[in-house]
Amino acid sequence: MTRAAPVPAPVLPAPVPLRRRRRPNLAAWALGAYVVLFLAFIVAPIAAVVLVSFSSASFITFPIPGYTLRWYWRILEYRPFLEAMWVSIEVALASTVLAAMLGVPAALALARSRSAFAAVIANLLLAPITVPAIVLGLALLYFLASLSLGLSLTALVIAHTVAGIPYVTRTVLAVYRALPPDLEEASAVLGATRWQTFRYTTLPLVRPGVFAGGLFAVLTSLDNLPLSFFFGSATTNTLPVVMLSYMENQFDPSIAAVSTVQMLIAIVALVVTDRVYGIEKLTAA
Amino acid sequence: MITDVEMTADAERPAPALASAAPARGGRGPYRLVRSRWTIPVLVFLGFFFVIPLGTNVWRSVATGQALTAGPVVFYAKLLRDAYYVGILAETLKVGAIATLLCLVLGYPVAYFMVRHAGRWNALIVFLLIAPLLTSIIMRTFGWRVLLARKGPVTLLLHDWGLIARPANLADDPVAVYVALVHVLIPFMVLSIVAVLQQVDRRLEESSRVLGAGPLATFLRITLPLSLDGVATGCILVFVVANGSFLTMLLLGGGKVTTLSVLIYQQFNVAQDTGFAAAMGNLLLFVALICLAIQARFLRRQGVKA
Repeated sequence: MTRAAPVPAPVLPAPVPLRRRRRPNLAAWALGAYVVLFLAFIVAPIAAVVLVSFSSASFITFPIPGYTLRWYWRILEYRPFLEAMWVSIEVALASTVLAAMLGVPAALALARSRSAFAAVIANLLLAPITVPAIVLGLALLYFLASLSLGLSLTALVIAHTVAGIPYVTRTVLAVYRALPPDLEEASAVLGATRWQTFRYTTLPLVRPGVFAGGLFAVLTSLDNLPLSFFFGSATTNTLPVVMLSYMENQFDPSIAAVSTVQMLIAIVALVVTDRVYGIEKLTAA
Repeated sequence: MITDVEMTADAERPAPALASAAPARGGRGPYRLVRSRWTIPVLVFLGFFFVIPLGTNVWRSVATGQALTAGPVVFYAKLLRDAYYVGILAETLKVGAIATLLCLVLGYPVAYFMVRHAGRWNALIVFLLIAPLLTSIIMRTFGWRVLLARKGPVTLLLHDWGLIARPANLADDPVAVYVALVHVLIPFMVLSIVAVLQQVDRRLEESSRVLGAGPLATFLRITLPLSLDGVATGCILVFVVANGSFLTMLLLGGGKVTTLSVLIYQQFNVAQDTGFAAAMGNLLLFVALICLAIQARFLRRQGVKA
């Protein structure tokens, strides 16, 4: 997910391209046609859901008989959807803030240390990504239940924080490693305290990393069903958990409407983060 | 303890010129804003809510329920000897392997096109590849249910083309599981390959062509070997994530594809056999760790070669 393609390094100007005029490059055209098909495959199920969410039929059918907004009204009427959406947003924001508070100082400390011990710690911080969420969820539920924290919002936030730490740490490590220490050094030489150096020099420089990592953490948290369903109860069901149980009983377009709203929330989050802090600056680094 | 290790490491490094201008800091090593002790909160947190839970999970799998009476490895023996569970394990690995292979075969050409031919379209392709990651897994699965339903667009299209005899509900066919898995996982494969393919020096390919090799030979003997690093990263990522996913099998394929993750879900929801569920989770984790070890090995070897 974070392997966003870096901008290609400038290549030396190539000598005259080989045989450009003789071959209209049929192979490249065939490849291009294949890529168009591939992208249609990628977009198709998402487009289908958005389309169905406006369907006037109360069951899923093609072609769409007519268009209506009633499934969006249904979201507002069906309490569990709204409540779960709030739980989801609360958990995502709380766990991401917590993950950043824990992960960012550690990333700053680890980035400039070359000891073997620091490498071990950095690996530990990234490890939760590699543990299948269903295993982590299961293990955490039993452990937290033994602390009588089982089915609580606290437990949910703790679980999502564990899952979010790797995302925040990874991006901050990458950004901070790319920064020369000179700037902070200059700040210290000019008499700034440690806190001032952090507040006015380091933080503004690593902020794109914090926000990109935080965005990944929020997006993963919103969709982390394997982690969330273990902690499900009337007050701690996140949106995907409620959607799953709704789908098991009914198959009407309201799930499509909820999905579309959720996608819009994610897109808005992405666009806002991009506008404010410039994600492309991060991938270009 | 942390500071000790770090100070010995720092001492080995040559101090940069500027450091001597900051006598307040002792002038050793590059400026470090944050001391190592700032890793302590996150270490405590992860130790308590990550390491200990996984550790107790191992303990639970050897010392609860049946394991107390029938010996500590009874759950693992059941998983690895009972024909049903061996079948599930084989199915898990098979689903992962097929999904990985499909992602590789279908994704490589896309990555190649993005690096070599896309030009100004590249940004659009990247956007469309990343866009699905903004949607929920439920949305994508729901989408496939809609498209592959008995009267869904894809089913009708396949029927019109004569590829299937009569419209059937493909969403409850195992093929739907593979379609949905590939859809979810292929962006990771493509982006992994793109990242490496971008580093390949085009002049090597041009030299190969100048020296008389055809386009196919150049691809097979120059480009492909040079991109193996990205292929390996992508394959392992896809395989591990495919092994861990269960929602796709739960909502598609009509319950005909049962993998280890699905079994954990059922075990938790229905049977509530905590020791057995823990053992299955550990087996799944073990498979993931093997994959990561292979990756670390492979990447190190590649690194030595380069």
